[in-house]
Amino acid sequence: MASLSEEVLLVVKKVRQRKQDGTLYLMAERIAWGPEGKDRFTVSHLYADIRCQKISPDGKAKVQLQLVLHSGESTTFHFANESTALKDREAAKELLQQLLPKFKKKANKELEEKNRMLQEDPVLFQLYKDLVVSQVISAEEFWANRLGGVTNTDPAQYKYKQEVGISGAFLADIRPQTDGCNGLRYNLTADIIESIFRTYPAVKQKYNENVPHNLTEKEFWTRFFQSHYFHRDRINTGTQDIFSECAKQDEKGLKSMVVQGVKNPLVDLLSLEDKTLDEGYGVCGAQPSTSNSNRTVKESSNYAIIKRFNHHSAMVLAAGSRKGETPTDQASETSSTDGNSRDSDFFQPPVKKVKLQEEYEDLQQENRPKTVPLNLKKSDRYAHGPVPLQSQQYTTSQDIINSVNYIQHEMANYKPNLTQVLSSTVATSAISALSPGGVLMQAGAQQAINQMVPSEVQGELKHLYVAAGELLRHFWSCFPVNTPFLEEKLTGHLEEMLQTAYNKFHIWQTRRMMRKT
Amino acid sequence: MPSGTGKTISLLSLIVAYQRAFPLEVTKLIYCSRTVPEIEKVVEELRKLMEFYSKQTRESNNFLALALSSRRNLCIHPEVSSLRFGKEVDGKCHSLTASYIRAQHHSNPSFPVCQFYEEFDAVGRQVPLPAGIYNLDDLKDFGRRKGWCPYYLARYSILHANIVVYSYHYLLDPKIADLVSKELAKKSVVVFDEAHNIDNVCIDSMSVNITRRTLDHCQNNVDTLHNTIHKIKETDAAKLKEEYRRLVEGLKEANVARETDVYLSNPVLPDEILQEAVPGTIRTAEHFVGFLRRFLEYLKSRLRVQHVIQESAPQFLKDIYDKVCIDRKPLRFCAERLQSLLRTLEITDIADFSAATLISNFATLVSTYSQGFTIIIEPFEDRTPTIANPVLHFSCMDPSIAIKPVFQRFQSVIITSGTLSPLDIYPRILDFHPVTMASFTMTLARTCLCPLIVGRGNDQVALSSKFETREDFAVIRNYGNLLMEMSAIVPDGIVAFFTSYVYMENIVASWYEQGILENIQRNKLIFIETQDAAETSMALEKYQEACENGRGAILLSVARGKVSEGIDFVHHFGRAVIMFGVPYVYTQSRILKARLEYLRDQFQIRENDFLTFDAMRHAAQCVGRAIRGKTDYGLMIFADKRYARADKRGKLPRWIQEHITDGSLNLTVDEAVQLSKHFLRQMAQPFRQEDQLGLSLLTLEQLESEEMLQKIAQVAHQT
Repeated sequence: MASLSEEVLLVVKKVRQRKQDGTLYLMAERIAWGPEGKDRFTVSHLYADIRCQKISPDGKAKVQLQLVLHSGESTTFHFANESTALKDREAAKELLQQLLPKFKKKANKELEEKNRMLQEDPVLFQLYKDLVVSQVISAEEFWANRLGGVTNTDPAQYKYKQEVGISGAFLADIRPQTDGCNGLRYNLTADIIESIFRTYPAVKQKYNENVPHNLTEKEFWTRFFQSHYFHRDRINTGTQDIFSECAKQDEKGLKSMVVQGVKNPLVDLLSLEDKTLDEGYGVCGAQPSTSNSNRTVKESSNYAIIKRFNHHSAMVLAAGSRKGETPTDQASETSSTDGNSRDSDFFQPPVKKVKLQEEYEDLQQENRPKTVPLNLKKSDRYAHGPVPLQSQQYTTSQDIINSVNYIQHEMANYKPNLTQVLSSTVATSAISALSPGGVLMQAGAQQAINQMVPSEVQGELKHLYVAAGELLRHFWSCFPVNTPFLEEKLTGHLEEMLQTAYNKFHIWQTRRMMRKT
Repeated sequence: MPSGTGKTISLLSLIVAYQRAFPLEVTKLIYCSRTVPEIEKVVEELRKLMEFYSKQTRESNNFLALALSSRRNLCIHPEVSSLRFGKEVDGKCHSLTASYIRAQHHSNPSFPVCQFYEEFDAVGRQVPLPAGIYNLDDLKDFGRRKGWCPYYLARYSILHANIVVYSYHYLLDPKIADLVSKELAKKSVVVFDEAHNIDNVCIDSMSVNITRRTLDHCQNNVDTLHNTIHKIKETDAAKLKEEYRRLVEGLKEANVARETDVYLSNPVLPDEILQEAVPGTIRTAEHFVGFLRRFLEYLKSRLRVQHVIQESAPQFLKDIYDKVCIDRKPLRFCAERLQSLLRTLEITDIADFSAATLISNFATLVSTYSQGFTIIIEPFEDRTPTIANPVLHFSCMDPSIAIKPVFQRFQSVIITSGTLSPLDIYPRILDFHPVTMASFTMTLARTCLCPLIVGRGNDQVALSSKFETREDFAVIRNYGNLLMEMSAIVPDGIVAFFTSYVYMENIVASWYEQGILENIQRNKLIFIETQDAAETSMALEKYQEACENGRGAILLSVARGKVSEGIDFVHHFGRAVIMFGVPYVYTQSRILKARLEYLRDQFQIRENDFLTFDAMRHAAQCVGRAIRGKTDYGLMIFADKRYARADKRGKLPRWIQEHITDGSLNLTVDEAVQLSKHFLRQMAQPFRQEDQLGLSLLTLEQLESEEMLQKIAQVAHQT
């Protein structure tokens, strides 16, 4: 065999590929298949190249496994050993399932990068469609000077996009619906699950511990919604609930937060009083005891709600400000499970000084950079928003009748003075100037052209224009022609490309014309 | 006027100017404030004033101003200052600085003492603190540099400082005042800032509660005393004899304790007692312990009652004489006698003896004052009649008792606060004749506060927290609706106050059930005050963080709680305050009933008047949290239809009352939302210096102009 030095993890015999019997090898870094009796692999894929695996449904006669590559190609293996086909396939699947994620991260970074760029930039995506998909230029050429730009610029700028915080009400968004037969249906989206995990790392931990092995995902969430953990007003009593541990952990987190105390002395209620009364003094010395024994069930459930709300808000806040930490990072997670985000570090003693010395801006001499104040002519308009203009002057019907009468009277007495009118030439020129296309009507005509062309035509034209621009960019980037490669590019296919582009434009033009006529 | 409008600086500059002009007339300014941050703020204001003085006069003035606080805030001893609670710090400090500890250290140098105190004691007294402004941190810095104890340095320095800033407990609580403020000069000016609750502070400092637990502790204390006396008798009988001799000579001498021996001194002992000798019956140590034991047994028997008992101090004294033959006179000396004994026995940990001290203080108080106090014995809490939990309340009903010495001793006393309203009730409950009384409003360049009274829900249900409709779902739902609507339109922080903790718990629970809270969460995060101060501090900090990073938050809090009294919600930390209901005090309490009765009989204040006054000052206090200066702005929403009535509205401070228009008296939720939207948009416009000039900000020329002087005179005469 060609590469015996590789570690072979699994060998499955009697696997057909393209109707040819052979053997499937799963090795440390790749999967390979060789036809029977031959010494080499005809199929060999690095795990890193594989996007996913698919299997045929259980009931089907053919037991198959399909590998889909990042490039879009796929390879299908047919497990042909009648007695053990299913078992063989399962074994291969299981192993792949374990192996693939390991290589996922290594997977084509560039491809991901390109994908991401296309997703984030709609113009680029359109350009890609126009040029590459329609095969004006090849994908490599398209990316050649794009990716250059990408790798040159700081990747960090792209990697860290602004972290989106968590909505405070993500649990409220899970509206339970009755499914008609005494049950409730909760709708979970990936976003909500993500929010739950980020806010309650303990739940995530439970999920990781339990889900593939002990419970299915569905069971896990069902239990979650049934748990005391989700319903905050229930008091945790049972221990068989897998979430009781989460609740305890939360309790611990909350305690540790409380024990840590606050860093801002101005909100520390414990140190607010200078001299507290000693025990036994004071009027309301007999406080209602807060010990649990004296509380009724309702009271302690109320207390639980309040505590949970405080905790929930603190966790949401902390999750929002956990910056740059990948959620999978176990170490950082445990450090932040207590919900104390780093932002509170701002409150340091110097800040206390600043806060104590209240500054009055208006008493300071102005030496800050001047800002341009917003100058509102009608602050009312700003405050109320646009209000439909209403005619303020009403005319009574008597007024109208009077004016009509007046006009009638005027018209009755009108006598044209024909000796003192405009000459006909002046009159016609005035009329032509005022009719559409005339000198005085130009503004109106210009506006019209914008609206005359339908927006889809405009869009298509824009795309063509951008595509042509991109090609021209390629063209001009070849100058000065100082390498044979550039020369070849210029004389060879670039000319061809421009030609294609021109043709494309032409086709579009004629099509448009046809449609119009 | 609310704070942030220059109340403090006006007072300071006026008094300091007077002090400079007549240094012999006004020797000292004693400025009392409520919380530690407030004290520190005052000192910072003062620093600015002094800087301005030296800039204008081009000479450094020799004013000494300093802040004094408890050991917890001033200690620099590495071990002691790491302790978290004030009591622990005090106890630990005492165990390192008491006179006999130091004497022992003298003979045996390995005995631990506080080197900072030693250093201060050795050299600190000779050189007075150099002139300047010392905040708490400055004192600590100075102490570290010199190696002196800042706390004792400050306590020593207040005697010759020109300006002292401290908490008003140091002046009002007789137990502390006796120690700290005893020797302050008569020609001082005393300012009580944030004094709207001063009557409660007075009452608190004079009231005592005794539970069965206290008595058990006290029993242990007495046993310890007994054993210690036995031991000492065997080893060092001379010591006890010496004490006896001293007691014969009179308390006057016994009272000259060294300053470090921090025994809580007795509550307001009339001076003549100090001249007398301790009565013979309790002069020897054994007799006194026996006496205490008897008193204790008597109290225990009183706590075994099955029904509520209320009696006056003379009744109590008669009963104790009848039952266990304890006379009034020895009872009066009880507190003093116990301290003397504790000193003699060299007991280090006074914190352990807090129960015995409490009992002896009670004995002294009950035998000293025949008026103004009441004794209530409750066998159980009202809410849990089956669980026996007997409490003896010895409750002060007359705040004037505690404040009287202050009025008598100092030449001028100024009582001020942002929410001192109505003014005329304070002289009545504190029993003094004011020389001058004035209430000022604010001059605003724009109306930066918007009080709205929401009396109805959108469905016309009357909103009220009154007892009958408390549990009404319609009211609760409408309250929730109001908060929800507000959370959608108000930027950044909203603070909502409830009338009591139990009420808030119930409302939050039913909002949770109805899904209102979830809807609010869509707009803002929710934080809730709890009964635990540490937990609440955390929630508060998170609340501020959420306001800071733009997410916006709601703080649900309780009137009369810690948050409502001490925390400011400046600018975006509180753009709206919602007051759910009228924060009446829990009227079923017997102590309150007794006090109301007393007020009616002694001061002719009707019960309802006082209750409304009390509720409204707390409402104003809550609502005033949002406005901290003229550049700040905020909505004030009173969600109860009762606020619209003239008797409630009229008791709000003038600066709030002025802005309540007739149109905003009985709004529905929707109307309130519309008005708020309009207000918030207007307030969000840039606010520049030019807008204020001539109105709320004056140039020197404007200030000196004839017209303005007339205007000022006019405003001053109005009040």
